[in-house]
This record gives sequence, C-alpha cells and structure tokens, in this order.
Amino acid sequence: MNRILEGKPLVILGSMISPHVFAQTEVVTKSETPFLVGATNAKVTMQGSKWLFRTHVHDGQLAELIPEYLVKTLGKTRPGIMAVADDYGLGASKGIQAALAKLKVSPAAVASYAPSDKDMSAQLLEIKDKDADSLILFGRPADVTLVIKQMNDLGIKLTTIGNASIVAQTTLNNLSAAEADGGYAIGGMIPQTSTDAKIMDWSKRVQDKYKVPADNFTVSYYDTVYLLKSIIEKVGCDKPAIRDALAATKDWKGMLISYQADGQGDLAHTLGIYRNKGKTPELTGPIKESGY
Amino acid sequence: MGQLVVNGLALGSIYALVALGLLLIFNTVQIVNFAQGQLLMLGAFIGISCAVTHELPVAMAWAITMVAMALVGIVFMVLVYFPLRGRPAFLVILTTIAMGIVLENLALIVWGPLPVSLPSPVRGPPVRFAGVVVSMHQIFIFATLAVILLLQFLFLTKTRFGILMQATAQDLHTARLVGIPVNRTIAVAFAFGAVLSGIAGLLVAPIFLAEPTMGGSLGLKGFVVSVIGGFGNLPGAVIGGLFLGLIETFGARYISSNFRDAYAFIVMIAVLVAWPRGLFGEKSSEKV
Repeated sequence: MNRILEGKPLVILGSMISPHVFAQTEVVTKSETPFLVGATNAKVTMQGSKWLFRTHVHDGQLAELIPEYLVKTLGKTRPGIMAVADDYGLGASKGIQAALAKLKVSPAAVASYAPSDKDMSAQLLEIKDKDADSLILFGRPADVTLVIKQMNDLGIKLTTIGNASIVAQTTLNNLSAAEADGGYAIGGMIPQTSTDAKIMDWSKRVQDKYKVPADNFTVSYYDTVYLLKSIIEKVGCDKPAIRDALAATKDWKGMLISYQADGQGDLAHTLGIYRNKGKTPELTGPIKESGY
Repeated sequence: MGQLVVNGLALGSIYALVALGLLLIFNTVQIVNFAQGQLLMLGAFIGISCAVTHELPVAMAWAITMVAMALVGIVFMVLVYFPLRGRPAFLVILTTIAMGIVLENLALIVWGPLPVSLPSPVRGPPVRFAGVVVSMHQIFIFATLAVILLLQFLFLTKTRFGILMQATAQDLHTARLVGIPVNRTIAVAFAFGAVLSGIAGLLVAPIFLAEPTMGGSLGLKGFVVSVIGGFGNLPGAVIGGLFLGLIETFGARYISSNFRDAYAFIVMIAVLVAWPRGLFGEKSSEKV
C-alpha cells in the first residue's frame, strides 16, 4: 500500500479481504485518499476512518437478516450453525448467534471448519445428532460446495440458508441439481438471476474475458468504478471533494441496486434472497437492511 | 459413531496413500519429498483435464493420469534430485518445497483458481447398514488402498526390481559397486511415488474437489502419518493414516471442530514422545 500511495493516487480501490483492509486503513487514512473496499467484515467501516467507504453488503447485515428470514419466514426454530473458522466466518457466526438470541432461538449446534478442511462430516453429524431442523452455512464457495455435497452423501436433509456462496456459480458448477436444489442464500446481488439483456450480456463478457463467472463482488466493484466516474465528473480530481461526495451518496443507481451512504461509510443496504431451483438460483426478492 | 468410523477411515486412507508415495521415495534415496501433496494435486488436475475438459471415459482418464504422473516423477527426479545428489539432505528437501510452490503456481496458471470436481470411476447408490452410509466411492478408496498396499508389498519383496530397490535403499554406493543399475532404480522409485500421489489425487478430487492449493495440507498430513507410523515402514504408514483419519474425525465431533488440524500435530508429538521411532519404527544403528 505504501508503494501505491507513493504514486499519489486520486482514489484507491481496496481489497475484498477484510484483514487486508484492516491492515491498510490507518496508512490510507493518514494519506487522506478515498479508499473504496468490498471487504465484508462488519467492523471494517467501524474503524473511524472518514476516507473509507464500502460498496458491498457486510456480514453484520447478513447476520441479522439470515436468522430473521429463517425463523420468521421459513419457520425454523432449531438451526445448526456452520461457518469457516477464519475472520470472515467466525465473525458472522457470532453475529448470527446474537441475532438468533434476539429472536429467542437457541442453535442446536455451533460448528466450524478450518479453511483448509476437506472433510466436514463430523460437524454435520453433530448437527444432525442434535436434532437441528435447518442449517445456517457461512463460508466460501469451495467449502460450501463440500458441505452441501457431504450433507447429501450422508443423507442429511436440512433446509440450508447462508451467504451468497450457496448460489455462487463456482458452487453450482460442482454440485448436481439434486444437491443444489432448495438451498437459500442472502447476500449481495448476483447477476445470474437477472433477465435484463444488458446485464446478461455483461455477465457473458465477464465470463469470456476473465474465465470466471461474475458474482456479487464483481457487480459491487463494477458499480464502484462507475460511481467514482460520476462523482469525478461532478466534482473534479479533488480528494476531499470526492470523499464528501461519496459520503453524500443518495439513491445512486448501480447495476442491480441503489447505493446510499450511511454515517459509517457503508453504501450498500439492499441484499438479495435467493433459492436454488436445481442448479439455477432464483431471486425470491430483494431485502433491505432495516432503516433503508 | 459408525458413520464417524467410516468417514475417518476414508479420510485416513487418503493420508495413507500420500504417505506410501512419500515413503517409496524416502526408502530409496533417503529424501523426504515435501512436494508429494502438490504431485497429488497435479494428478487430480490431469485427471480432470482428461475426464472433464476432454470428456474421455473416467477409466481412460485414470490410465492417462498414471502414465503422465510416472513421467512427472522422472522429470521431478532429473530436476530436483540429480543436480543435488550428494549435497546435504536439507538442500534437496528445501528444493522439494520450492518445487511444490512452483507446481502450485503452474496449476494456478494452467487450471485457474476455482475448485473443480472429477467424476468418480464407480457409480451407484450408497450402501446403508445400521444407519451408516458408505458411498461407492468410499468403498473404492478402501479397495484401492488395500490393492496398492498388497501390490507394493509384492513388488518390493517378490520381484527382482523391488529387491534391487531395497538394496539401493540400504546402501546406494555398495549397490552401484555390485552392478545394480542405481539410476534406473531411483527413477522407478520417483515414477512409482508420483503415480501413487496421482492416484490419491484421482481419489480425492471426486469427494473434496481439486484446486491448486489442495496439496499443501494433504502432503503435510502424509508426512505426519509417515512419522506416526514409523518413517520408512509401509504398513505403519497405512495404520498411521487410518489412525489419524479417525482421530481427526472423532476429535472434530466430540472435542472441537476448531482444532481439527491441530490434532494431527498433537498426536504426532505425543507418539514421538512415547515412541521416538514412531508406532512401527525399527531400531537402527549407525556405524561411527
């Protein structure tokens, strides 16, 4: 980051990995450069930096909305929780447990797995043995794929809800239709469910050019670039003016959602609820963070 | 309980296969190949290229992978072992670590970072008894491990080439003096060791998916298993592998899933404290 700052950039597009952002925030803040990130740890925007903005939904929002949807809409009251044991997953797991407590629901079991783990059967069996009626799953596409596969192999049938990894193209590519079917996800908006010809064409071009499917992060960073473009066209190449304009963002229409800045620097407050029909994610509906 | 045993043994069988490849090379040239896990990853991706990308029958993909891995093993020997032969062992070991990193990055360039699945060579509904589910692929893993262990034992003890390999392992210089084709013997060890890793990769990819970084953890577990079993002891490696698979699975279920990886190293340290040569390690003496 110091090397990037030596080049005196007008703005910095930062990482989607929270530990990277935690490590860089102080030096970027001192440089008084607008810092736009997609990192999802809720605490990223709680560091008190006036120069840091996030254009992706965060784990704090998911931790509130996933339990709420599971309990109030799907009627499940004894979920098992399983999350990847790193900063990303464990932070979310704590938030989910707190949100469940607010709903007066106790999880049947709370389990985790190391990012390098390949066999999650012991954790799944614990959740099954403790009579869970559903599973809240929080991880990255590769490990979420393994959890869903192993659940299927073990004959464990639980309503599964989690972050956007459940509907990520990488996950769906490695699951059969029967394995993927019925999984719920709440997360940043993904382009796969859109019927808009422009968005479908954009997704195809991303896939063709980068050989990976566009996901919620691709959408978020793409929107970030155009949001910046619109601000720079309006206020010019002036860092404080760009920062102020970002902080004043209101109803800026991106590819799939509108962005609105809150007092902490979070700009994304609309999430998607998805359900896999076979290997195809379907948008059940957008859901907004309370207050938006 | 029964399900945990089955899953622990299936996981342990994979560790055992990695360890068998590792020990074959170690027993011949006394070098620990820390790139064994990356060779496993390479085997998985070669299989995927054949079976998924080029849509070849899975059996043919297996055959091609084994031949390719034998060649990879020989190339590995030429690039890593031969140039450093006779130098301090740690230099060769460091080079195997470096080679592992190179292989991982090559895989990233060639196959990309996303995880990919490989179809299992066996299909069919899982076997169920007393509430325990055993998939056909798990049965295939157990069978493959048993067959490989038997073939390896027969090869090393009943064939002329196997006996030559054992002679080379005991004393490389004397083996050369008595006319044993040492280089050819070492080449076979590297080829066979790489093939075993490739087979482990082909077995892992259908259940755990393949990705460029998959080899690091599995290779390390293969090393731990070798130490637990008694370095150099083939049946010890298999028993160590199965033991570790069970420990990890039961530990994750009844103690905490947070420390699953730590169990391997705790067990290794505990075994070394109690039995410094591992569970089945033979006493050895060195002439001074």
